[in-house]
Amino acid sequence: MRAISVFAVFALLPLAAEDRTAEAVDAFHRGRYADAREMLEKVVQAAPGDGVAQTFLALSRAATGGCDTAAGELGRQFAANQDASLRRLAGIALVECHLARNRLADAWPVLDALQKEFPGDADVLYETAKLHMRAWNEAVFQMYQKTPASFRVNQLSGEIFEIQGRYAEAAAEYRKAIEKNPAGLNLHYRLGRALLLESHDTAKLREARNEFEAELALNPSDAVAEYQVGQILLAEQNAAGAMARFERSVSLSPDFAEALVALARLKTEAKQYPEAIGLLERAVKLQPASETAHYSLMLVYRNAGRMEEAQREKTVLDQLKRPPEGEFTEFLKRLGEKTPKP
Amino acid sequence: MRLLASLALLAWLPGAGGPVEFRNVAASAGLTRAFPNGGDRTKQFIVETTGSGAAWIDYDNDGLLDALLVSGAGGLTRLYHNEGKGRFRDVTEEVGLAVASGWGQGACAADYDNDGFTDLFVTYWGQNHLYRNIGGRRFEDVTARAGLRQSRVRYNTGCAFLDYDRDGHADLFVANYLKFDPQTTPKPGENPYCWYRGIPVNCGPRGLPFDRNILYHNNGDGTFTDVSEASGIAAPDQNYALSVLTGDFNNDGLEDIYVACDQTPSLLYINRGNGKFTEEALLRGVAFDENGKAMSGMGLAAADYDGDGWLDIFRSNFSDDRETLYRNRGRGEFDDATVAAGLARNTRYVGWGCGFFDMDNDGWQDLLLVNGHVFPEVDRLGIDIHFRDRAILYRNLGNGKFADISESAGPGLEERHAARGAAFGDYDNDGQVEVLINNQNEPPSLLKQAAGAGSHWILLRLTGTRSNRSALGAKVRVTAGGRTQSDEVRSGGSYLSQSDLRLHFGLGAARRVERVEIDWPSGARQVLRDLPADRVTAIEEPRGTL
Repeated sequence: MRAISVFAVFALLPLAAEDRTAEAVDAFHRGRYADAREMLEKVVQAAPGDGVAQTFLALSRAATGGCDTAAGELGRQFAANQDASLRRLAGIALVECHLARNRLADAWPVLDALQKEFPGDADVLYETAKLHMRAWNEAVFQMYQKTPASFRVNQLSGEIFEIQGRYAEAAAEYRKAIEKNPAGLNLHYRLGRALLLESHDTAKLREARNEFEAELALNPSDAVAEYQVGQILLAEQNAAGAMARFERSVSLSPDFAEALVALARLKTEAKQYPEAIGLLERAVKLQPASETAHYSLMLVYRNAGRMEEAQREKTVLDQLKRPPEGEFTEFLKRLGEKTPKP
Repeated sequence: MRLLASLALLAWLPGAGGPVEFRNVAASAGLTRAFPNGGDRTKQFIVETTGSGAAWIDYDNDGLLDALLVSGAGGLTRLYHNEGKGRFRDVTEEVGLAVASGWGQGACAADYDNDGFTDLFVTYWGQNHLYRNIGGRRFEDVTARAGLRQSRVRYNTGCAFLDYDRDGHADLFVANYLKFDPQTTPKPGENPYCWYRGIPVNCGPRGLPFDRNILYHNNGDGTFTDVSEASGIAAPDQNYALSVLTGDFNNDGLEDIYVACDQTPSLLYINRGNGKFTEEALLRGVAFDENGKAMSGMGLAAADYDGDGWLDIFRSNFSDDRETLYRNRGRGEFDDATVAAGLARNTRYVGWGCGFFDMDNDGWQDLLLVNGHVFPEVDRLGIDIHFRDRAILYRNLGNGKFADISESAGPGLEERHAARGAAFGDYDNDGQVEVLINNQNEPPSLLKQAAGAGSHWILLRLTGTRSNRSALGAKVRVTAGGRTQSDEVRSGGSYLSQSDLRLHFGLGAARRVERVEIDWPSGARQVLRDLPADRVTAIEEPRGTL
């Protein structure tokens, strides 16, 4: 009761304009947007040149559903405010307003500018992710509504099922897509991949291989489909067949690091160490952060008796394997979790 | 007629093998009690997922293997005496083993005090227990007296006795999984490490603190000293260690130690012979899979599967991983031979206990692994990964490749269980190896072949005199029918389990063994010639200098 009385006394005292602005900004930061808006409306009326008040009024309006009145001011503040933190806030609020009004096209340039000025900012990245998700949802909705019989609907459904780990359903959708568009590129490839994700049993391997071969019949320059056939042949104990397919994959796409590594492994098994080393040295140049490529190179150096170089690769691998400093403890701390005592 | 002749010829080709039919005879053998191990539909904590092991030991020296099954909380680890004629009797209380309860994990065995009777070590989340075998009649808990009581709660998992310094006394290695405290460990779903395919599950091992492995030196007076720091064993501190496999992988006469680690690189401790070990798994090619990625290593087995005289390693892993077969290319350097050997297809199982054994006595080591997921909740997903799953049996084709014959190897292989430990041993001395499997919350399985041994065999029971009495680390080469096979006596292995300390060799058509050559840990070399097949042969290390 006593505390309330003290605040009440303060409220009755006349405040300077900047104090009122500060009080309103404080209310805004505490999430009391309606209070902040009410206060700021008065401040701006009394002092129209108060830039901070103008900005926060626009932010408060946006936060209380007044995007129609706030958007113009937010745009001006985002373009011209000298204070980077206010520019950032105005930009983010402007994106939110565009999203609220379903004006996705207007949101993109604002986000582009925000990303350039504030790269790596979590809020900006969050807004970007949100915008992409909205755009994705919008496009999917349009597709399902306007072209429900299109093979693309089945293809997209397959891809969604794949992401959800529902591989059998994904395969069924790809099959429907292929039925509708037998010459469509990538459909057989996606079906083959879904089959492999579903199971590695003999029948599935055979089915998947048929799909990759069908993809290659449509597009003989598909290096990834060649690589997949090579992997299946390898699983079927056909190392010679696999090597031929990996070689073709590499010839189609000389910078395809995974194919280089796969081919190098077979060369290593065949004790063709110089060839394997050449392939793997190319692979680590193409993908310097690839643990797989460095590991394979370390082992082939070892097998070739080049222990110094094997040790060097081991050192690189040790560096790559090192978890980011405090990966787990920091992560757990952020979650408020207690780490068991030693 | 021509066709028949061809078929007859086929039967003697290496790896051709005859029909195999495994049946689960646990119930008729009297092994009917279930061993509790946490939740069946959901598990709150990781400690419910890792137990437990099984062991074959002949504790009373009657020539018949007895069965030990380790229990999780809510039950007792139990010992069953082999009564002969395929029957076992629970003697847990009678022999004084009804003393410890809690989260039992693994078991290993050896005659640590060289008194002629095999002793037992059982690991726990909590306190381990060393049981000294008193004259084959009872066991005495000597943990504290032996200096093996731990100063804090530890998550001990795999264990193995080995005589790493060849002083004639069996030392002890104990793997440690992680630091676990139910009071502070998050509950299912509480952080991103507590989810599996969109369902909340028990947390870990990622996100839980690492612990270190332990090596105890046997002082020769019934006590042990922790030499983990001095020996270098404690140096790796970023690994979730489970199973332990000992073996002389680089053929330098010293026992090395390989440890399967969960979600982290596996470890290979190379014995330097001066009381020290160096960890060399990465460069030797056994830390990761062929892609350089850490697997969730669970169980381990070793054998010279390709007959080149070098010990190879098999490791069972998690679902969506391949099993891993490391072929020893000599000097303890390994290549990942999983794909080349035909073991890369079963990726839907979480593998645990595993072992090489010559199921058809054709002279080639076949491979069995038992499975079951860590998360009972996985059954809610309706996918092809299950909490209870069948075992996998591979026939060694004798050409560096294996064939998966699980689906034609009898009803015992088809049963689905949440299996963990698996111990391999010939409990009825009929020349065929049986498999004792510890299933979570169910009675164990005892896999036995329906038909008798078609080919010839020999079982060697080694006793050290100058070496440790269990002959741990003794290397044996058996030549019969023109082929030489090799193996080593080891404690531990599989998944937290102890297999028969005797060595079994299939001899194919050979009725006699031409030569048995033994390198004893003491350095003594012994050669025996012209031994009859189809029997258990006891061999004692020569007492004098050879």
